[in-house]
Amino acid sequence: MTLSSTSAPTSPALRRQVYDSAKRPHPAIEEAQELVRFWDLVLQWSRRNIKLRYKRSILGVLWTLLEPLMLMTILTIVFSQVFRFEAGDYPYPLYILSGLLLFDFFNRSTLQIVEETVASLGLASRIYVPRSAFAVATVITYLVSWAIALIPLFGIMLFLHHPLSWALVTIPLGMLITALFALGAGLLVATLGAFFHDVKLTYQVLLTGWLYATPIIYPLEIVPPQFQKYFLLNPLYHLVVLVRDPVILGRVAPVENWLAAIGFSLASLAVGWWVFATQRSVFDYRS
Amino acid sequence: MTTVADTAQAPSRESPQTVESAIALTSIEVRFSMPTERIVSFKEYVLKRITGKLEHRELWALRSLNLDIRPGEFVGVVGRNGAGKSTLLKVISRVLTPTGGRVVVRGQVAPLLELGAGFHYDLTGRENVFLNAALFGYSSRVVQAHLAEVIAFSELEEFIDLPIRNYSSGMLARLGFAVATMFRPDILLIDELLAVGDAGFQEKCLARIHEFRSQGTAILLVSHQMEAIADHCTRAIWIERGQLKAEGPTDEVLQRYSEGFAES
Repeated sequence: MTLSSTSAPTSPALRRQVYDSAKRPHPAIEEAQELVRFWDLVLQWSRRNIKLRYKRSILGVLWTLLEPLMLMTILTIVFSQVFRFEAGDYPYPLYILSGLLLFDFFNRSTLQIVEETVASLGLASRIYVPRSAFAVATVITYLVSWAIALIPLFGIMLFLHHPLSWALVTIPLGMLITALFALGAGLLVATLGAFFHDVKLTYQVLLTGWLYATPIIYPLEIVPPQFQKYFLLNPLYHLVVLVRDPVILGRVAPVENWLAAIGFSLASLAVGWWVFATQRSVFDYRS
Repeated sequence: MTTVADTAQAPSRESPQTVESAIALTSIEVRFSMPTERIVSFKEYVLKRITGKLEHRELWALRSLNLDIRPGEFVGVVGRNGAGKSTLLKVISRVLTPTGGRVVVRGQVAPLLELGAGFHYDLTGRENVFLNAALFGYSSRVVQAHLAEVIAFSELEEFIDLPIRNYSSGMLARLGFAVATMFRPDILLIDELLAVGDAGFQEKCLARIHEFRSQGTAILLVSHQMEAIADHCTRAIWIERGQLKAEGPTDEVLQRYSEGFAES
């Protein structure tokens, strides 16, 4: 078959698909099915976000690398020189930076999911797209930034003559588990944040508190022993251990941290996904 | 094996009654429940909820609406502002789930409602083609295979690798139209015939739309321009306050609609 310049081929994608409003699966399942069907959109949207970040200026890339480094320098000076925290047998800057990168990822990606969800409301009210696609693309975007920021981290390890261990290869897995946790949390906040402007502001305050409630800029050992057990209830604590232990201790994180992290992440994803998907009609019918 | 001539002479196995409809709406009902006052903060919402001061007002956008559109039909939709025309398109494009009734849509829906959805000004025309197409659910592999046709149709060969911030509004619309219609959809939804580019390009767009129709695409055109509906549609429906007020051959419905308009 030849095509003239004006004729268009019959759509290959999604062809002869029947949409029957009476035979729809549960919203949480439907959203997942549609996300798979629109997986290319997720990838395209992630690429778009990454391109836009780095297209604007060369400083875009540099900034991703410089910002955590500068923060690390400041915090290292403040906590090791001023407060005189005693770290273990590892360089304090590495302790701070490896944890800070995780928190930075969690902080930015969850807040951006709220932004993207609100921004996509207009689009999604005209064209059918699974809204979760934008949230997943956001998480992928920030995962890429995080991966890039690992380069200066490894650079500092070399600079400080800190041994690079084989355990470092488990970091991507820890990052992936963190991404699932962030996706769930982001979807949950976004569902409420799409309607009420104070939700995002409250969440931002909560995030600041969360940073200080997690042993990232201080070692867990300075916490009085009787309070240390409460830190185990903090999902971010376990997630941080997954990506920090290989850097500072040169070992794979203990199995109990892996199990706790995976458990928290799956729970977060289940709750966030459920709320986001079942509130879909509320998005549509919002005034 | 049957030849083309054989099948043409043989009586159609599918009589018009048994051809599956492209769009079938049964007792469609869309009811919005809107708070009587605008609530912007979560704190306010929770307080009102607890004190029982959260009041809602019901608004029927569509009510007991039945509609059946067959492949290859070009149907016009008329009605006043707020009559429920856009809501109808949203129900068909599954953006809005009806609160009652049943929608069955067979095949792919291409909404010609928002040309250039997701376009970003800092990206090139080419990059935006992929993004825009992804929003319609087309994979990048498929888009890559038909990219040359899309660019050729938009007549933007020289500009395709420039950021679209340098495009004129006509160029943007041309690119948007080319992407939205890169494949023949089974159902095409149009909200006002778009003034895309110059007269020559508009004709090209209309030719493509009619070619789709002749190949079996069902088309729904919502418009306030009576001439547009009279020119293109074989059938028309008139929606008034979310209900079907009239349905039938285009001239009859348009006649009744303009009379109804004169009365009020």
